[in-house]
Amino acid sequence: MATATRTGRIAQVIGSTFDAEFDEGELPNIYNALKIDTNDKGVEIHLTGEVQQHLGGNRVRCVALGSTDGLVRGMPVLDTGAPVSVPVGKGSLGRVFNLLGQPIDGRGSVPSEESWPIHRDPPSFDSLSPKTEQFETGIKVIDLLTPFVRGGKIGLFGGAGLGKTVILQEMISRIASVHSGYSVFAGVGERTREGNDLWLEMQETKVGSTGKSVIDSTVMLFGQMNEPPGARLRVALSALTMAEWFRDATGADTLLFIDNIFRFSQAGSEVSALLGRMPSNVGYQPTLATEMGALQERITSTKKGAITSVQAVYVPADDLTDPAPATTFGFLDAFIVLSRSISEKGIYPAIDPLGSSSRILDPQYVGEEHYEVSQRVLKILQRYKELRDIIAILGVDELSEDDKLIVARARRIERFLSQPFFVAEVFLNKPGEYTKLPDTIRSFKEICDGKWDHLPESAFMYVGAIEQAEEQAKKMGAI
Amino acid sequence: MAKARAIIKRRKAVDNIRKITRTMELIATARFRKAMDRAVEAEAYTRKIAEMASDLGGASPSTLHPLYEKREPAANALLLVLTSNRGLAGGYNGNVLRAAIRDYQDLQAEGSQVAVEVSGKRGQNFLKYRKIPVSANYGHFEDKPAFHEVEVLADRYMRLFLEGKIDRLDVAYTRFINTAKQEAVVRTLLPIPTDDPDAAPKAAEAKAAPAAAGAGREKAEYEFLPDAEGILQELVPVSFKARLFKCFLDAAVSEQIARMVAMKGASQNADELSKNLTRQYNRARQSQITGDLADIVGAAIALE
Repeated sequence: MATATRTGRIAQVIGSTFDAEFDEGELPNIYNALKIDTNDKGVEIHLTGEVQQHLGGNRVRCVALGSTDGLVRGMPVLDTGAPVSVPVGKGSLGRVFNLLGQPIDGRGSVPSEESWPIHRDPPSFDSLSPKTEQFETGIKVIDLLTPFVRGGKIGLFGGAGLGKTVILQEMISRIASVHSGYSVFAGVGERTREGNDLWLEMQETKVGSTGKSVIDSTVMLFGQMNEPPGARLRVALSALTMAEWFRDATGADTLLFIDNIFRFSQAGSEVSALLGRMPSNVGYQPTLATEMGALQERITSTKKGAITSVQAVYVPADDLTDPAPATTFGFLDAFIVLSRSISEKGIYPAIDPLGSSSRILDPQYVGEEHYEVSQRVLKILQRYKELRDIIAILGVDELSEDDKLIVARARRIERFLSQPFFVAEVFLNKPGEYTKLPDTIRSFKEICDGKWDHLPESAFMYVGAIEQAEEQAKKMGAI
Repeated sequence: MAKARAIIKRRKAVDNIRKITRTMELIATARFRKAMDRAVEAEAYTRKIAEMASDLGGASPSTLHPLYEKREPAANALLLVLTSNRGLAGGYNGNVLRAAIRDYQDLQAEGSQVAVEVSGKRGQNFLKYRKIPVSANYGHFEDKPAFHEVEVLADRYMRLFLEGKIDRLDVAYTRFINTAKQEAVVRTLLPIPTDDPDAAPKAAEAKAAPAAAGAGREKAEYEFLPDAEGILQELVPVSFKARLFKCFLDAAVSEQIARMVAMKGASQNADELSKNLTRQYNRARQSQITGDLADIVGAAIALE
């Protein structure tokens, strides 16, 4: 590569993309970062763009990674000769960045020796880690029905307002507070306020008994919904690059939280048409699967270290067959589907037990008992679902005695799948519950066996292990 | 389009159920009239017989006829449960069985040996499921219980009672009060109760209008031929049979009413569900078309 001081001029500005013209033979490579630093009539412009296409006629088309306001044709454009790079290393811990790796927490510059480009190849086949073990979260429905994989990818699918962000924040407070490694949080196109709340909360939360704040082992990156599509398109990659450094350089278990991966696809679709690509299925970019693959394939665990990632995925119009969530499905080890019908019943987390699944819900990973109990629970819920139309028409009285029992248990299980969250203490007036996996399995097994048929349904709402349901029933004066 | 097709399938299933419930509703309506006429006619007869019997018996009838004899505590009790052969009658069977189970448990708590006899397949299945031993099943009582069929049972119960094999007979059934009200009750028929709980409101009415009704109810002076006791011997068993028969008639009419109401509700629910599904389907279809159109138009513009 030649020296990084080639300069060109802006030839065209189209929304959040722009074209730049360079001299013959001096075209920047695809993915190179181009910089515009000018002061035009008192308006300072500092913009970075990323080369996406070579158009011919010595022109390249770029995605702007910031606002294109004030950009004028003819402005000088500097080719940096390398892709966007972010500072990596322990110096970044406890800090908040934008996608370019610039700190935005107002605490000065970041000491770092190294910068890594955000575009990298995924780890090769032979370096992938073959290990599979369960990751306990203390949330009953997740541990039982969609066990998380250590070093795996977990998706949280849900429509608007079903609690994806709450579950994600709960995961952070549950996992990060007992977790010894590093965490990276990427806010992609979500509410800026939530990012702020999270940052403050992380400063308060302590890791286990060490007295250290969670923020001290966390890096946060934000490209929220107020930012242009280019920023939202690339911030996930920046976060991932930082996480990769922790994995490769320190070998520590690293957590990567992304909220929300759908905004990544959406940003891609926003710039796609401006880049001149023909829209494909339902108006998404034709390169949807490629973009998603380039991101997801890098989030893997290698023999050096593991990245466990939890990603929220917004589901437009509650339609899981929409191309954006549908493309994400394939990459995940466990997916949790949030359902409106459950949230309407006031059951949170509104996880749909029949729609969610995990790769490791298999006797060879979780053990015979766990598998068997989970299948029994699913079978009861499945049967209940089948009977729902009949109940709606004819009433419960027309069911056979066996079915009546199944319905009664299914309704109890449904309610027992709710659980108080640490981050939701203010809503519930109840402290969060951490339920150990053996307790979870035992509780559900006993419900399936009919040991708790005598408790009223409402006693099963928002408790931890089954003994708490009994206690709650006593408090209600039911038994 | 997979989603739309699934909705259509569900709607078809709902429509089929609706056809059944609608038919059942019509059948029940037709049968209900006949059953109600019989029950209302029997009502007057049963009441009069019971009145006569108690009038004749005077203050202490138990000394006059062994069927009045109270044996406390009842060592051997018999519980007859009247349910329907067919379902789709809403809470009809459930209510009777719930009342029956409560009585069964109460009797057991009092230390009685309880034998259970049941009429109707619904009751049989339920008791089998609850693992309560049933000593006799009667499946042959249909919508029109005939007096001669009930008489066989009544004779047997009286014989058992007189022989001392049972000390008490309870019947769990649905009492027909009027077309809008029926309730699941358990009544003790043997020993014959001296104060009829079902007649109580009638007595209150009688008190409210003492001039009119009370006069007729006043002890009339009868002359008995050949003698009062002889007539009582005849009258008491007939009164018991009439009462038992009345239970069957009440159960039959209540079943038809329960089915009519339940099926009417079910048909309405099915209509509503079908309507909602149709709406869902239309919406799914519409959005599919919109999506397709958007794709085609988008592609056409892009190709220009």
